[in-house]
Amino acid sequence: MSETAPSHAFTRIAASHRSQVEVEVTHGVGLHARPSVAFTRLAKSFPCTVEVAVDGSGEWLNGKSIVKIIGARIRRGTRLRIRAEGARAEEAVAALSELVRRDFDEDRRHGRADGRADGRPA
Amino acid sequence: MAAPRDLPGRPAAPGRAIGPAFRAEERPVPAPGAPGEGDARAALEAAVALAVAELGELAARSDAESAGILDFQIELLLDGELTAPAFARIERGEAAALAWAGAMGAHIDTLATDGDAFALRAADLADLRSRVLDALAGRTRADFPDGAVYVGRDMPPSVFLAHDWSKGGAVALAAGSPASHVAILARARGVPMVVGLGGLSVGNGDRLLVDGTQGVVRLHPEERLDAPPPDLAVRAPAALLGGQAGGARLFANIDTLADLDALDPASVAGIGLVRTEFLLAEAAEALDEERHLAAYRRIVERMDGRPVTLRMLDLGGDKALPGLVAGDPGSVLGARGVRFLLAHPDLARLQARALIRAAALGPVSVLLPMVTLPQELSAMAALFDEEAARLARQGVPGRRPPLGIMVEVPAAALTLDLFAEAAFFSVGTNDLVQYLAAAARDNPAVAHLHAGAEAAMFRLLDTIATAARAAGRPVSVCGDLAGDPAAVGRLVALGLRELSLAPSRLGAVRAALQGLTGGAPG
Repeated sequence: MSETAPSHAFTRIAASHRSQVEVEVTHGVGLHARPSVAFTRLAKSFPCTVEVAVDGSGEWLNGKSIVKIIGARIRRGTRLRIRAEGARAEEAVAALSELVRRDFDEDRRHGRADGRADGRPA
Repeated sequence: MAAPRDLPGRPAAPGRAIGPAFRAEERPVPAPGAPGEGDARAALEAAVALAVAELGELAARSDAESAGILDFQIELLLDGELTAPAFARIERGEAAALAWAGAMGAHIDTLATDGDAFALRAADLADLRSRVLDALAGRTRADFPDGAVYVGRDMPPSVFLAHDWSKGGAVALAAGSPASHVAILARARGVPMVVGLGGLSVGNGDRLLVDGTQGVVRLHPEERLDAPPPDLAVRAPAALLGGQAGGARLFANIDTLADLDALDPASVAGIGLVRTEFLLAEAAEALDEERHLAAYRRIVERMDGRPVTLRMLDLGGDKALPGLVAGDPGSVLGARGVRFLLAHPDLARLQARALIRAAALGPVSVLLPMVTLPQELSAMAALFDEEAARLARQGVPGRRPPLGIMVEVPAAALTLDLFAEAAFFSVGTNDLVQYLAAAARDNPAVAHLHAGAEAAMFRLLDTIATAARAAGRPVSVCGDLAGDPAAVGRLVALGLRELSLAPSRLGAVRAALQGLTGGAPG
């Protein structure tokens, strides 16, 4: 999968210190425990706020909370919106959407799916 | 070699022992009424951080699959969404361990459904609950060398219970009281104890002789002690009697699994009192349903069909549980016993579930401590009904056990006819006499009033026995009075024929009761 190819599942709204993207979850199961850890750890490595919303839902959930992420039941085929606000917002959204599109690196790094970028919590 | 010197105190538990002194560090006693919110918050933060560090170390040396699970647990602990409710409870004045256990219990009920991959697993949350509770308890757990003489101002029961006394040793306290819980434990375990020694100028490692019979501690003793004579009265013929003695039925009080292991089940009619707050003396245990059940199962299985009466956690008053409830002798008139349980329904429900599950294993009854009004019994009965129904829905085997009440508050003792819901009564003479005489049992200055109130006590016991008979409910006596050879004859004469006492008292009481009936066994 190309790193930059935009598609119907990948649109970006750029703004200063504010960024939003929509991405389709293609991972085999969805965001169960391990992918959720990868997602929240990567989200927490950025200083900006990170929020996610599932499909058409207007409810934005804290993207740095594993309780919220796993509770959102983000399955394969779910259209996930990710938005960030604050310092490095655009970078955060890009990195997180890439993580989703890479299927959380599970194929390559089975087990420690804590993200290739700074996976430790800040 | 320094010359021997006698330090006078008061006897609290009989026997003599020699050993090196172990000076307990004095911990600041929290001021009564001050919940110490800042302390509790800092304690929980530190415990969570410790748990995260432990999980991190564990993950680093685990295989990939396990590490993934541990990483998930770490991420949960680092999530403010998970920890915020616990801190909110601390702000409302709860102690750290109770706040954590209660908040995690609520998460398990609301978040965890083991149905699919997207649910938080109850097992993960329960695991985290225990790990953080252990971390909280770890800071307060301090054992001392085997065979040592514990020297301190007072001694928390949990410290006494965590220690292995089979290698000898004794207790010497500057303050304390022969009527304190730790003294009751020491007498039950046969550990010599002297209290009220005042300022003790004893160094760590100094040789001490503790004479708990005379109430004296000798510094730098010259004598050596022979091995203590075995308590001949406790054992041999008792096994033949099956708990029958002089028209009475004898039951054992159990505080620990060590007490249970030392007891010959055939020598008693059953277990009349398990003080679960001593059985599960660490917050991490008291807040873990599975550990409750494991301990209860041990007791029920060992008693092999004989009745077992488990008393719900009697916390508050002078009984502390580090991290869960601070001990405060001033609160013996406050939120303790069933009052504490009803004010902390998370804890009560957790224990109720374990008791219901244990009741499926054998003849288990449940005793409620410090009941004052019938409404308290009704509230607890409703709680048991709800938990029994919940377990049934979950397909967990259980049986709603009969509920009885401790008769230890005078208001209840005088109105037993109003407690129609009680399946049985058990008289706690230690607390009853302290409330009857308005004389705190931990205060040496008023201790003589306990003995002086004996006439009032026996009049009230007569009233209790009569009311229980009229209501057709069994009544037993489980306080120290039931283990006093000089008193048991009078109890039996009042019709109080079920006595539950410390195993170490069985021999002496049996002998006294048989003396009443001309020495014939039976």
